[in-house]
Amino acid sequence: MSPSYAKPTTPAETAAHSPQIPDDAYQALEDIVGAENVSRDAAVLDTYAFQWLAELVRPDQSHYMARPAAVVLPGSTEEVQAIVRLANKYGLKVKPHGTGWYHWSGPIKDSDATLQLDMRRMNAIVEIDEQNMYAVVEPYVIAAQLQAEILPLGLNLNIPGVGCSSSIVASACAYHGAGPDTYYMGGNAENVLGMEWVTPEGEIVRTGSLGSGDGWFCSEGPGPSVRGICRGTLGSRGGLGVYTRCAVKLAPHFGQTEWNVEGTLPAYRLPIHENLRVYTLAVPDWDAWAEIYYRIYDNEIGYIFHRQFNLAGADLAAAFWLMYNDASKTLSDVPELAADPEIIALTEELRISFQLILAGRSNDDIELQDKILDAILEEVGGHKVERFCERDMAEFTNVYLQRLGHKHINFVWAGGYIGSWMQFGTPDWVKGYIPTAAAGLERDAAGGKLVQCGGDAMMGSGSGIPLGGATGLEQFVSYDPDDYDSTVAGIKHMEDAVGDAAAISYPPGKEFLYLQIGWTDEQIWDALAHAKQPQAFHYQRKIKEAFDPNNVGDRMYPTLPEGYTAGE
Amino acid sequence: MNHMIEELAALVGRDNVAADPASLEAYAQDESFVPRLTPWAVARPGSAEEVQRVVAWANETATPLVPVSSGGQHFHGDTVPSTPGAVMLDLRRMDKILRVDRRNRMAVIEPGVTYPQLQAALAAEGMRVTPPLLPRADKSVVASLLERQPTLIPRYNFHLPEPLRSCGVVWGNGETMFTGEAGTGPESLEAQWQAGGVQADPKGPAQTDFFRLLTGAQGTMGVVTWAAVKCELLPAAHEYLFAAAAELDELVDFTYRLDRLRLGDEVLIFNDSYLARLLASRDGVTVDPDALPAWTLVLGLGGREYFAAERVAVQKKDSEVLAGEFGLTLQSSIAGAATADIAAALAGCCKTPWKLAAEGACADVLFVTTLEEAPAFTEIAHIVADGHGYAAEDVGVYIQPQHQGVTHHVEFSLPYDASVAGTREDMSDLSDDLAANLMAAGAYFSRPYGPWAQPVYNRDAAARDALRKIKAIFDPAGIMNPGKLCFGAPVAPRALAEKEA
Amino acid sequence: MALTDYRADAMRCTRCSYCKWIPFDLVKSHQFAKGCPSIEAGKFHAYSAGGKLVTALSLMDGRSEVTDQVVDIAFKCQLCGNCDVACKLCRYDMEPILALREFRAHLVEMDRVPESYRPLIERTRAALAGKGPKTPADRNAWAEGLGLKDPTAEPVDVVFYAGCKYSLEETLRETVRTQVRLLQLAGLTVGLFENGCCGGLADKLGYRDEAAEAGQRMLKQWAAAGVKTVVTSCADCRHVFTRVYPQLEGAPEAMPQILHTVECVDQLIRDERLELATPVPMAVTYHDPCNLGRQGEPYTQWEGVEKKIYGQAVVYDPPRPRHNGAYGVYQAPRDVLAAIPGVQLVEMERSREAAWCCGAGGACREAFPEYSAATAAERVEEAASTGAEALVTACSRCELNFTEAVAADTASGGPGADLKVHDVLELVALSAGIGKERS
Repeated sequence: MSPSYAKPTTPAETAAHSPQIPDDAYQALEDIVGAENVSRDAAVLDTYAFQWLAELVRPDQSHYMARPAAVVLPGSTEEVQAIVRLANKYGLKVKPHGTGWYHWSGPIKDSDATLQLDMRRMNAIVEIDEQNMYAVVEPYVIAAQLQAEILPLGLNLNIPGVGCSSSIVASACAYHGAGPDTYYMGGNAENVLGMEWVTPEGEIVRTGSLGSGDGWFCSEGPGPSVRGICRGTLGSRGGLGVYTRCAVKLAPHFGQTEWNVEGTLPAYRLPIHENLRVYTLAVPDWDAWAEIYYRIYDNEIGYIFHRQFNLAGADLAAAFWLMYNDASKTLSDVPELAADPEIIALTEELRISFQLILAGRSNDDIELQDKILDAILEEVGGHKVERFCERDMAEFTNVYLQRLGHKHINFVWAGGYIGSWMQFGTPDWVKGYIPTAAAGLERDAAGGKLVQCGGDAMMGSGSGIPLGGATGLEQFVSYDPDDYDSTVAGIKHMEDAVGDAAAISYPPGKEFLYLQIGWTDEQIWDALAHAKQPQAFHYQRKIKEAFDPNNVGDRMYPTLPEGYTAGE
Repeated sequence: MNHMIEELAALVGRDNVAADPASLEAYAQDESFVPRLTPWAVARPGSAEEVQRVVAWANETATPLVPVSSGGQHFHGDTVPSTPGAVMLDLRRMDKILRVDRRNRMAVIEPGVTYPQLQAALAAEGMRVTPPLLPRADKSVVASLLERQPTLIPRYNFHLPEPLRSCGVVWGNGETMFTGEAGTGPESLEAQWQAGGVQADPKGPAQTDFFRLLTGAQGTMGVVTWAAVKCELLPAAHEYLFAAAAELDELVDFTYRLDRLRLGDEVLIFNDSYLARLLASRDGVTVDPDALPAWTLVLGLGGREYFAAERVAVQKKDSEVLAGEFGLTLQSSIAGAATADIAAALAGCCKTPWKLAAEGACADVLFVTTLEEAPAFTEIAHIVADGHGYAAEDVGVYIQPQHQGVTHHVEFSLPYDASVAGTREDMSDLSDDLAANLMAAGAYFSRPYGPWAQPVYNRDAAARDALRKIKAIFDPAGIMNPGKLCFGAPVAPRALAEKEA
Repeated sequence: MALTDYRADAMRCTRCSYCKWIPFDLVKSHQFAKGCPSIEAGKFHAYSAGGKLVTALSLMDGRSEVTDQVVDIAFKCQLCGNCDVACKLCRYDMEPILALREFRAHLVEMDRVPESYRPLIERTRAALAGKGPKTPADRNAWAEGLGLKDPTAEPVDVVFYAGCKYSLEETLRETVRTQVRLLQLAGLTVGLFENGCCGGLADKLGYRDEAAEAGQRMLKQWAAAGVKTVVTSCADCRHVFTRVYPQLEGAPEAMPQILHTVECVDQLIRDERLELATPVPMAVTYHDPCNLGRQGEPYTQWEGVEKKIYGQAVVYDPPRPRHNGAYGVYQAPRDVLAAIPGVQLVEMERSREAAWCCGAGGACREAFPEYSAATAAERVEEAASTGAEALVTACSRCELNFTEAVAADTASGGPGADLKVHDVLELVALSAGIGKERS
């Protein structure tokens, strides 16, 4: 355990540097939600300020984002509206979060008095319409809960890459929403239907058919789709109003309707339905990797498609996952496993591999899909990785990818994880940055301040848009947030990744978004102004001016000031 | 010649501006019931730069612009000017297919590209774009996609705008940008292709789905100067099966299940009247309307790439088993029509709008709903038609599953003879009455053309207010197709007077 | 030990919220996905295990002070261990339950405790000083007439330890007597010491000194009598014997074997020393007590240091054993139930390592009765949802909490109305012909 690198402070000093709200505003909040549903206890506030990745962006590598002025737990859309109107009146910021995982869930600026809205009281599944294949949920319904309710109905849902612990509303309305299921099931951007949006002014906008009183089923229109300003590639990340309900389109489920998980934790197992196949596939090189993705797209096979297990690092993945599947083992056992000749061979075999679950609507269908996959493998020189297709590992892969409930393994090595790279494009294009990304991690980890698991620690969806065509690979870079030098090495890696990408004429990846959280407004504006088409951010300023005249939302909804151009 | 015409001519070339009555007549009215209004001129830009110049000029002169990119008869009133002094921005000269990319299954096209043109080019690469139902030969692909016209294959319809992806746009304020993934790269398609970009993701850039502000917009936000579209592979094996039913109700559950299981390519439902007219409009096709089933579900089964024929065979077997579970039988033909004729109709285009073939005119009322509501809406159509003295059995019905079975386009198509005095007015009343009744019963008019706009935006005042704010951003001068949807029609009197000088 | 020992855990918390839920792979419904009673009641993130860690961190970092809210956050928690299971699903470097216990001890040292704690610890101290209302002899009144042996005077097969609830609660009298009679029926000679509380209450309250004093007395007693096997029906007591006692100063190298009575009976059935002949036709659902299930797995003491491999990967030297609930005592009670003819077991959704707490743990039954009852009500609702006619468990505190929750539901027409509540061994005794069904 490292010595604490937290800057010494006192409660009074911390409070002095944290924004407050007037007592009458606080009293008004108590009147809206009840005294038990609002707090400004310093420690409680700190539990909202404390965020993963904060230490990479905050001054002195503090693990705390800005402290909210108060935390509020609204119980209804009406309460949300009242809170937002109050914020307008008092000049406060409003920052809602669902499950609150990601440093931008918290308040961003120490100078902004922010009401952190924790949406956990709004946790109902409002409706499941089985026949029309959609469900209506409140913000604190997580994907695991809805999936559990709909599997017995023969339905499934797209679970984004962050995993099933995430808020469906947050993913669909306010963030990204793509993951291993997106190729077949659509991403949450494509799946979102009606949304109920409390605007930053406290008005309620219901999008699509919902606004016409015709139900939840259609997200578009009337005429141009108002939802177009609610989310694009990303949503507003809490920076432009509060989403209080939404409907999402569901997908067919072809497996067993009874969810009977077996096995000993942590490696649960889900027996594989006769109409499903669960494979780990390996290819000889990155050219073959791109080829096989295109062939999978063109042949329209595949239900869940993801490069999952490589997140542990190509050098250590085999050892790690076999360790993980043995309940009696711990990370201490990995070196011994990694030195085992059989594991060494398996490591090489898995070097360029990914996971594919096939789902057939009938026995004939799944057999044909198997045949198609075999033909594809033959053509590209790939094969099924025998050890990972054996029953134990296949059933583990099955539960892992179907439920996506082990996403916290992202943090397994040292407690800190950065996702860098992940530039999104065609397989041919993504292939182009893989060697640089791998070399970059190898270089940055060489000093021992990041986890050394091999340069390729990349994970990504088979396609982040439905039907195929666009993928991305994200480096899983592990640092110890309790170790100052390791944390600093993580920051350097992010900066290096931006530079490494630029050197090969690729745009920056995910790390660029993370770094910006710690920047000044001017630094962010400069970055936005240097975007290839900065006009998007000028339009977003105008949208914000129209819908958030009192600036209640924070800069997680990014805008450029009027007249701001690159080079200023 | 009026100096403003001279200005326009300077922007797009003298040959590409017209203001004579003969040139303008085609734009002055369409098959809908919107009031006739002749535009002041038509300009035919040949490039995005020319479009931008015209839009800038329109801002300076407060001239309404009405974009149009399909030829022939129009049907929804969206391309008929609503305000005097309008200039038609006819994009048909911009008819280049800019790129066909088989590997990434993408095509990039200009707005003047038509379905026959594009499908032929794509077929050479073994692809096609999922079509709507029997588009006319001069139908613009971009226009069809922008208006969210339903396409035939629900399982490809991951969201309603599919297969529309990134676009290039000149906004109503004269500024340009690319939407979608293309908006994150340099504002040059060539540069993007050089760098390996294919404009595949329609989302964004950033927090805004700019392209969704353009869909269903009837040209009121800006002008799309190119669009990237996702292509499907042409099936190497394909066959049609049909389920016949006396009542629409009998097909509902089976259709839901087909959609859910992603079985089949084409899935659509016709009533006898609609199918009869569709087929009868085609050269050399014989159809016996009285023999046709009251309702027909059309199920196309396609096989692509590896083991294509086997793919079809497996789907066929699965479909037949499924149909049996719902008390239906799938047949390879229906009474009254030849399968080959139906197949050709679904694969092709028509030279002239087929809906006009029967009686010369046609009133369409279209909306979206969930499928189980469709029978009740059909009943409403019959009752309203009857109430206006229109034979219920002549009401054509087309139901197109969209969004993989979550949304369904329902279209009531009522042919009539406009040459009979008073008929047009009667049909206009019927159409209004039908729309009002349907709206009251929960039909969602997601594409509120003409007279449907006012009741839709009265109901959804929040959307109206939001859209007006959005319009004020992208078209602050209000020059883009004013008077459509919920947008007013500001025209500076001075400019109008100048135009009439 | 110090709170700062868990600073690293807090720093490495990623705020993933897994600690609030049961392991996601096991979620079968919207309603029964939750795992943490503390945050369900407290609502703010601070009440989750991760939140408690950060609350502690905030104090350690000097950013905040101990307030009544902080005290509520730290102590309104059954220490049920769901967080520990869920966190460790993906992590090998976190020890949430140990950190939570340390946090309590830290606040106790500052004398910042809930007001409801004070009478509890006063009673505990009084009992340790021999000034409590009940003497050790009083505590053995339940065993009158059972012929239990004095382990200091003669050899016994097992020493039975009743624990406070079984010793003192009238409503549990019949149950504990039946448990012992079962052991005797199997031919075991059962010993009973005169002694006091195992120290479990003090331990859960965070009063380590008092817990240590009670524990050391017990250990001396066992050592002096050469005790080989201790059997208890209280999951809490078993937890303290296996997890706390080995750390105490003066603890022997080799501790006696500690068994829950149900483990003992399971073995007796396998050894055919108990015949279960009478059918007990009953559809039952079994509640895994936290301290027997996920917190009841074999426990290895560890002392060592953190070390890093592969640059920054956190491991331990010597390797730290993984106590993540994988090997809790889940199967023995189920095997016992399966051995009873006529009993049909229907599982709740949250079972084994994912069991929702009965509410009594962590001293919450005593210190936060409303919170404890609300937690129990949730579990009783879940039990009723299985359609079983009886909720069966293997812990005195669980049994008490459930009995009261059912009574409340019966009075108000709640979901658990008229549900029967039994100890597993009651049903065994019925089948063995020595028990009678509780009315």
